[in-house]
Amino acid sequence: MIKKKNSILSSISEYAVLIGIVVVFIIGMSIASPYFLTFTNITNIIQYVSTYGIVSIGMLLVILNGGINLSVGGTLAISAYIGCSLMLRGFPWYVSVLVCILTGMMVGLVNGLAVTKLNIPPLIATLAVEQITRGVHLGLAQGAPLTGFSQTYLNIGASKFLNLPMAVWWTLLLYVIFFIILYKTCFGRTVYAVGGNPMATRVSGINNHKIIIFVYILAGILCAIAGIIVTGRMNSVAVSIAKGLDTRCITCCVLGGASVTRGGKGTIIGCFLGVFIIGLLQNSLDLLAVSSYWQEFIQGIVLFLAVSADFFRTLIARRKKK
Amino acid sequence: MKPIIEMKNIVKTFSDNVVLDHVNFTLNQGETRALLGVNGAGKSTLIKILNGIYHADSGEIYFEGERVRINSPQDAEKLGIRFVHQELNVCPDLTVAENIFIGHLKKNRFGFYDEKGIYAASQDLLNQLEINIKATDRVGDLRAAEMQIIEILKAMILNSKVLVLDEPTSSLSEKEKVIFFNLLGTLKERGVSFIFISHFLEDVLQISDHATALKDSRNNGEFDTKKTTKEELIFAMMGKNAIQKERIEAEKGNDAPPILELRNLCSSGKFRNINLSVQPGMILGVCGLLGAGKSEIARAIYGLDKYDSGEIVYKGEVIKNPTPEKMMKNHVAIVTEDRKLEGFVPLMSISENITLSTLRRYAAKLGFVKEKLRCAKSLKIAQSVTVKMTSDKQKVESLSGGNQQKVIIGRCLESDPELFILDEPTRGVDVYAKTEIYNILIDMANRGVTVLIFSSELEELLAVCTEIIVLRSGEIKERVQAKETGKAELLSLIS
Repeated sequence: MIKKKNSILSSISEYAVLIGIVVVFIIGMSIASPYFLTFTNITNIIQYVSTYGIVSIGMLLVILNGGINLSVGGTLAISAYIGCSLMLRGFPWYVSVLVCILTGMMVGLVNGLAVTKLNIPPLIATLAVEQITRGVHLGLAQGAPLTGFSQTYLNIGASKFLNLPMAVWWTLLLYVIFFIILYKTCFGRTVYAVGGNPMATRVSGINNHKIIIFVYILAGILCAIAGIIVTGRMNSVAVSIAKGLDTRCITCCVLGGASVTRGGKGTIIGCFLGVFIIGLLQNSLDLLAVSSYWQEFIQGIVLFLAVSADFFRTLIARRKKK
Repeated sequence: MKPIIEMKNIVKTFSDNVVLDHVNFTLNQGETRALLGVNGAGKSTLIKILNGIYHADSGEIYFEGERVRINSPQDAEKLGIRFVHQELNVCPDLTVAENIFIGHLKKNRFGFYDEKGIYAASQDLLNQLEINIKATDRVGDLRAAEMQIIEILKAMILNSKVLVLDEPTSSLSEKEKVIFFNLLGTLKERGVSFIFISHFLEDVLQISDHATALKDSRNNGEFDTKKTTKEELIFAMMGKNAIQKERIEAEKGNDAPPILELRNLCSSGKFRNINLSVQPGMILGVCGLLGAGKSEIARAIYGLDKYDSGEIVYKGEVIKNPTPEKMMKNHVAIVTEDRKLEGFVPLMSISENITLSTLRRYAAKLGFVKEKLRCAKSLKIAQSVTVKMTSDKQKVESLSGGNQQKVIIGRCLESDPELFILDEPTRGVDVYAKTEIYNILIDMANRGVTVLIFSSELEELLAVCTEIIVLRSGEIKERVQAKETGKAELLSLIS
């Protein structure tokens, strides 16, 4: 029993810094802006983070697996566009949901095949796929946004349940599901192992390619789901949809303790906290009326700090060992 | 003889752990002194204090009779103490000369990089020491022994007085060792002193004049290596003798159909026309020099590398396009040569590494892992392969080489192999752990597992195997009975 308590304590201490940041943010902002701690604003934050919160799960999987995914924005855009354009041609909403998810899967599959079978470094492969998917979206859309979707479709992301937007429920549900997948299933543990040392897992008889492809497919599906939710909320597929999503998701993962240089490191709880912190930051900047032009700069600084935090963490751990 | 380095009453503690307890160490001018001890005895801490990486809590260091303070590796270098580490630190794409002078590149009178100067100086050094490589050779094209030699030459251009060699022979074959030892001899004649740290007691006996043994953080004897035996040294390091188990020869096995057969296996540039068969329950060794094709054959059997032609027949069936996944399903396991690179997942626990191959076996519905069952089984395996650990949740990264190797062997054991392939199974492993590993292999063979060992350590093969296959430049030369063959005979066969 004592042992169990210890392990809970130690796992809390693992996130102490992140939880600390959240607390500081909340205290600071509630002093700075009376509007901050209202129910509407908090719901706003969570709803706002839901898009990249969901995509960040996929990003975390890929990073854990030893890769990186720069094509998340393009994947989201192309799946949402194809799904929604079918709906505008008279197909029922569920067909467009299905096609949207299938498109996400296909893009993931292409990423996975490029990384494994063609042996292209993930950075390059997904960068190319990002540009291709964005290109197809732009080409098909010819610069025009899509709007006017069926109400049922919009409800998937925009309706409310127990006074909270559905987007929030979907995000929480997916985090729980992927928490279980990563910690309690063979697949999840294998993702960590392959990321930690792919050569060792190969020698151990694990089919690395299968795992990597599957991880990219899951990442694609998650992008598609995020796409459905975000189009539901916006009631449109803009040309600039999900711009800068890749950097933001990478920031969340790294902030939450994932390592871009070494796979097999990072947790879903850390990722969740990372997403939450970025949401708080964005919201705070909005409330403090910081110009959106400067917000970009501040987010860049946060990514930089998050990456250096990883460096300092390893340094401190090494000192402790000595 | 005058001492060049004296370390007196060195004490070092890490939090509550006494790592060095009033340790004394003396190196005389112009001698080669071995520093012995099992992992954790304190030898690497002692050497790190000499190198200025750690600082002693108390105790004194004298260099050429004068008290010195070594606060950083730069201080040690200024005194003329130079360290040659176990891992090779060469830049493969630079030339020999550039590697030798790296960090000390010369400038000409215009302040530009003096290319001619370093090539001339390097070639001069190589000629003097009668080393058969060119200053203009690309280092990546050299053999391991030659890279090791470059590490030593790096120290020579700084006119070092003392060289500390940490496991310098672990990646060298028997033949390369001869070249390497000759170089040490030449340098010794010029008055260089050596501290030699090695797990290879044969090498210690051959190359060193004296040996200092450490055990449990204390001095445990000084030896004149010309008058001592390997057993005496082992006893000083362990306080006990490692006893190797007896192999029970399988009476029945020899007429049984072979479990593995290679028919005319070829891979261009690596090996050709390899024909061999292994009977079930046998321990078969394959020996050869570096580059003779040992690892390449092992990797081809397991589908880690491709081969060009020929057949791999396992249990009477031809395996087309072997992949590790397929071989694992067929109950074949492999321990590859490079432990750090391919052996384990460093951030995962001992327990998780052991069940890496077999995770699916512990899956309930929907792929959920039955964690209790898995932990119980992996703990049992870890104990049976005698991994020294504080808990099975410990990360494999934090274990010593020998224990890491045991974890890898444990992982293979867990997959219930019928054929167990090992490539250099005891490289960089201390003497005691070596014997423990041999005992695990012998136990397995006694239970009917077929063991195939690829190794360049002849003693190892002679001690464990029933039969040994000799490889020379990619071809099988001989197949001998281990019992009827001596080391000298085997050595002449491989080179």
